[in-house]
Amino acid sequence: MVCEPFDIANVPGPAALGMVAAPETMAAVVSSAKRPLLVVGSEILRDEFYVDIAIEIGKKGIPIAATGHSIKGFLQKGYTENVSIINLHELTNYLRDPEWQGLDGGGNYDVVIFFGIIYYYASQMLSCIRNFCIKPLMRAISIDWYFHPNAAMSFPNIRPKDEDKYKEMLKKFVESIRR
Amino acid sequence: MRALRTKAQKECDTVAKELKGILDIAGLENVRIVIGKVAEEEEEWEPMGPHPKPGITTLRNWDFKLIQRYKPFYAPFCDMCCLCTYGKCDLSGNKKGACGIRMDAQQGRIVLLACLVGCTAHTGHARHLLHDMIKKFGRDVPVDLGPEIAVEAPLTRLITGIRPKTIGDFEEVLDYIEEQIVQLSDALHTGQEGSVLDFESKALHMGMLDSLAKEVADIIQIAAYKLPSSKPGGGPDVPLVEVGLGTIDTSKPVILVIGHNVPPAADIADYLMEHGLDDAVELGGICCTTHDTTRYYPKAKIVSALGRQLRAIKLGIADVIVIDEQCIRADVIELAQKTFTPVIATNDKALHGLEDRTYDEPDKVVKDLVEGKVPGVLILDPDRVGEVAVRTAMQIAPKRRAMKIIMDDEEFQHWVRLCYQCGNCTLACPIGLRIGGAMAKAATGNTKPLAELFDRCVGCGRCEQVCKYHIPIVDVITKAAYPYVKEERGRARVGRGPVWDTEIRDVGAPIVLGTIPGVIAVIGCGNYPNGTRDAYLITKEFADRNYIVVLTGCMAIDAALWKDEEGNGLYETHHGRFDAGGVINIGSCVSNAHIHGAAIKIASIFARRNLRGNYEEIADYILSRVGACGVAWGAMSQKAASIATGFNRLGVPAVVGPHGTKYRRAFLGRPYVKDDWKIIDARNGTEYHFEPAPQHLLVACETVEEALPMIAKLCFRPSDTDRGRSIKLTHYIDLHEKYLGCMPPDWHLFVRTTTDLPIAKRDELLKRLEDERGWKIDWERKRILEGPMRPYDASFDPTNLPRLVRKKE
Repeated sequence: MVCEPFDIANVPGPAALGMVAAPETMAAVVSSAKRPLLVVGSEILRDEFYVDIAIEIGKKGIPIAATGHSIKGFLQKGYTENVSIINLHELTNYLRDPEWQGLDGGGNYDVVIFFGIIYYYASQMLSCIRNFCIKPLMRAISIDWYFHPNAAMSFPNIRPKDEDKYKEMLKKFVESIRR
Repeated sequence: MRALRTKAQKECDTVAKELKGILDIAGLENVRIVIGKVAEEEEEWEPMGPHPKPGITTLRNWDFKLIQRYKPFYAPFCDMCCLCTYGKCDLSGNKKGACGIRMDAQQGRIVLLACLVGCTAHTGHARHLLHDMIKKFGRDVPVDLGPEIAVEAPLTRLITGIRPKTIGDFEEVLDYIEEQIVQLSDALHTGQEGSVLDFESKALHMGMLDSLAKEVADIIQIAAYKLPSSKPGGGPDVPLVEVGLGTIDTSKPVILVIGHNVPPAADIADYLMEHGLDDAVELGGICCTTHDTTRYYPKAKIVSALGRQLRAIKLGIADVIVIDEQCIRADVIELAQKTFTPVIATNDKALHGLEDRTYDEPDKVVKDLVEGKVPGVLILDPDRVGEVAVRTAMQIAPKRRAMKIIMDDEEFQHWVRLCYQCGNCTLACPIGLRIGGAMAKAATGNTKPLAELFDRCVGCGRCEQVCKYHIPIVDVITKAAYPYVKEERGRARVGRGPVWDTEIRDVGAPIVLGTIPGVIAVIGCGNYPNGTRDAYLITKEFADRNYIVVLTGCMAIDAALWKDEEGNGLYETHHGRFDAGGVINIGSCVSNAHIHGAAIKIASIFARRNLRGNYEEIADYILSRVGACGVAWGAMSQKAASIATGFNRLGVPAVVGPHGTKYRRAFLGRPYVKDDWKIIDARNGTEYHFEPAPQHLLVACETVEEALPMIAKLCFRPSDTDRGRSIKLTHYIDLHEKYLGCMPPDWHLFVRTTTDLPIAKRDELLKRLEDERGWKIDWERKRILEGPMRPYDASFDPTNLPRLVRKKE
């Protein structure tokens, strides 16, 4: 399935326009990853539900990079177990370095999950990952309510009136992660 | 012919030889004598440094030092190269194109291209001004910036080794810039540069040229028009002017100037004053022309920054629009016609298809404009603009007042009910505003959500083009916000131009020692992620903390739109001196050069470093010692790219908003790579690993909450004294706790000794260092025994340049 990018003119080129995927499919990618990372942005703060989703993913043993000012959501919930504060530009710069030892010293990541990040900022960082995190290959997926052509897999664009459906998709995604 | 010339030359040589330098031309035939520039013996004002008029490779080693520490980071905006007929080439995955260029180098190439476009805008502007000012005032207008400014043109001195005495002296400076621009542009051609590093070095060179061109432009206009400098009424004493869409008195004829080049607006002001019309006609402006107009004519009003341009035109407040150059909407004629507003174009860079009426009788031109026979005219002599603009505005105003421009309530309801929330406008919106939902609420009578979009909207108008029902979305939002728009009134200090040498003498030491925690340069365009309030918040937060906050361009305007609970704006609550706690409007885009100038003067006046032709050493000084940070929160244009890149080469880091990632390139440090962070003690050549100070040269933040502590962090410098470091660390920690709710994860990196720690939290932080980082603490003497990356030495003399080491160990 191919969709319009959320920013409609954001058509990067022939190799982009990643796949629109179901929650279960994306969860399967995360489940099979050796070192996945959840990258969370400030848009999760628009609703407590999204912070809870991030925490649920974190509780499955997937470390969380809290970018923007998203850390406030985790602090309010008292969940800081595997949450690291980092700027998204900095993080993406580190991700493209195969020698980086990760947020926990255990090495770089093979799958990154973008969630709750301003669309155009996320899109640019996904572009960097797609173009330059290639040896070894890193896959970036987006579980935001935007279609991201620079992500390997993404949800489609979801309208505000369908937000409840989106929430169900996120729940399904979390439930389907096996770690 | 050639033989004749040779013969004449021989005769000439013989005569000259015989007369020992005295040339007798009597009796010579076929000789043409051309006198070029007469080289006058220049008084020795400062020894020439190693790099006067640097070429492309002269400062390459400095660039490579920067790039080694702050590696170029690329986020491609487009995977393809479409510049030659080999293409389109798919470069995704860092593939090579048909010419052999890889994706990363192509990104560097595009960055160089953006900087070229920005730099040529400023250089073209400077050249244009020079032509106009020489024509009007002569080339001997003295560069006299008043008694408080002896270093009149720090960038010019630094880069070219020239000390300009008259505006005509800038011809040589512009010749140098233009020659360099041509050489750098040449490198963009297919089959030229292929190295990422060299593309970036060239972009940095272009950024430096951009800074120089801006200085030339602003000093020419200051000197020629006697804009504020250090003469009476200048500097911190410049007047306040009104800012905002609500400031224009539409009961009077209104002239709206848009752009960046002030001579046409100055002629309008002259005409108004000469004819006693200054209280009868409103002169307002948008973007940097408005800054410079108010510097010349403080009765002028600042209508808005770039972000409100579309809406200001659509609101129809202008009876005449006068455009000059840069940041003018490409559809200005089309928009203006809808509100029956004639347009006068005044600059050959933005002609907009209008007929050249420069030398027509003003009566005829005015008549054609008032009667609507033409949508606008071109008047290329700035000294002929004033009469036409003023007379047209006065004659057309009564006719336009009878017309209906703002939509009425009935029409508003019609449009909001027509919206069926398809979402096309959201997909077209640069910031993804959810307009449909707000429309739906407005249809039920709740216009507040729609009105709230007014300030967040970046004012591009893309939404209107994709609406299937042709809803004039921008107008509908403006209508919803109209009660607030009418009241949008703030006050800004007029752009003051250069910082005084005497001010630098007072603050040089506190800045270098760190006790004034930083100079924050709030600059650039209005493509904000979340509206203009961020400009206010950033300015207020740092000024309240005794940083020096200097502003230019759109952000200087937007910061003035908001007020505190007592109804006072930032320019009213904070002083205008270049000193702790100041909120200083430096001026227009080209006035940005004075921010470079202030940093350079700290090295020159406070540290007594030679400036002349000495860019590398001064940039090294600034990078290591001057805690300055640029903030281009809404950076949009190519000029913003070249401005930021110019700051970066001089050693000043910058924070951009999330849209800034679309520039494709950042300069980001990696603190975990120890070898990237080496610095030399110039006293003896000892090399140290040091803290990431500053950590980045160019970085984007997602939200203002994230940006505030980042800005504070980028003010750390290796030269900070313990007292200065303690103050900087206090603000970094405090801002992080205030806006992110917790301690920053990397605060310990900036601790060298106990006295670096904020006094109020010293014991608590020592404990944390011991518990969380394993540092060894002598609790009896409250001293750090082991842990910091390097020891603190108050006499440390940091440099990145081995040639500056005085005595090698």
